[in-house]
Amino acid sequence: MMAHAAIQPQPIFSHARWSIRPRRRRIALVTRMDAPSVEALNAAIAAVAARRDRAAFQLLFDHFAPRVKSYLMRLGAGSPVAEDLAQEAMLTLWRKAALFDPAKASAATWIFTIARNLRIDAIRRERRPELDPADFEPEAEREAGESLDWAKAETKLRTALAELPKEQAEIITLSFLAEKPHSAIAVELGLPLGTVKSRIRLAMARLRLALGDGT
Amino acid sequence: MSIAHHPGEELLLAYATGAATEAVALLVASHLALCHTCRAAVSASEAAGGSLLAGIPPVALSESAYQSVISRLDEPAAAIVRSAGLSSAVPAPLRPYIGSDFDAVPWRPIVSGLSHYPLVTKDGVRARLIRVMPGAGVAPHTHRGEEWTLVLTGSFSDATGTYGVGDVQSTTPDVVHEPTANPGPVCINLAVTDAPLVFRGLLPKLVGRLFGF
Repeated sequence: MMAHAAIQPQPIFSHARWSIRPRRRRIALVTRMDAPSVEALNAAIAAVAARRDRAAFQLLFDHFAPRVKSYLMRLGAGSPVAEDLAQEAMLTLWRKAALFDPAKASAATWIFTIARNLRIDAIRRERRPELDPADFEPEAEREAGESLDWAKAETKLRTALAELPKEQAEIITLSFLAEKPHSAIAVELGLPLGTVKSRIRLAMARLRLALGDGT
Repeated sequence: MSIAHHPGEELLLAYATGAATEAVALLVASHLALCHTCRAAVSASEAAGGSLLAGIPPVALSESAYQSVISRLDEPAAAIVRSAGLSSAVPAPLRPYIGSDFDAVPWRPIVSGLSHYPLVTKDGVRARLIRVMPGAGVAPHTHRGEEWTLVLTGSFSDATGTYGVGDVQSTTPDVVHEPTANPGPVCINLAVTDAPLVFRGLLPKLVGRLFGF
């Protein structure tokens, strides 16, 4: 079950410098008005990687830690556990900043994968089988379009997510924010599993199309 | 070699969201190591996860949280290990389970030409390696649940077609099949089942029960 009732959104940003960005940018990104831009977040991770920049780290912490906590609570973690893991995710960011590759993912996507994997490890106590980028031949990667400008692609993707038909968006959101097999999602929504699967296929096709346009 | 049979979109999404159990995640990750098309699909799903994370209403941390993290920034961390890459026929996601050499796996014989090695079982979902010598096969069986089989070396065929390296065969309970390894390299598969197989015939039933299939 999703823990909507437990979520208490609160203003958490104390960095005045981020509230004076031009209005045009805020609308273009469809983000909260006090959120740093995708480019600013990417640059902050690069600054942490290059020179252990603590001001950049604080920006990243203020932006991502409360979102990671919220994400974990929606997936059923109690507030103390979610807070511990959010802190752990930020430490992982600090330690692995050099592995962040803006050609592979946006900052938010990278943090999402860190939080997802920490949760599997700490809450489910399972190993997370992971890929090793060194295994791949660079040419195949380029053909597959895996080196997008993710900062730009993320803007397109958010728009595409917002524009998905309601029934497709519902299933994608439930897939991420309620840990259930798709068979259980089908039961909960009173739908045949085949319908859930076809909505997933349609939604993912739209999102990939949006990413294709984002290069 | 081009890959003709991919995991279903819902399996890729379950891997990207983290909802997939370890056995399923192992199969998907091993396929991704061989298939750049599905890697791009998973990257798109993970980007959707990033977008959802960026848009989620934040929940404030306790006031001491930031200081608590800052006080740990200088702790020594484990070194980041970068692998040499492309050094092994064993896909990277599988190496923590068996190392980098299929020949070094302590295979357990089942019947002539057929052996296996269990990898992980949780909540009734099992992942195991199946090694089939050329010409040998698995007795006709159906499934109570779903079965996914990723070919890692060699190839096999059944009534539904031929499956080579990187291909994933997905079967549902209504399918009866009798996969047989083709001539050529030994066929090694990563098989994931979410319920026991149902063999036809008394001997296969007994053998199946004995080896936990």
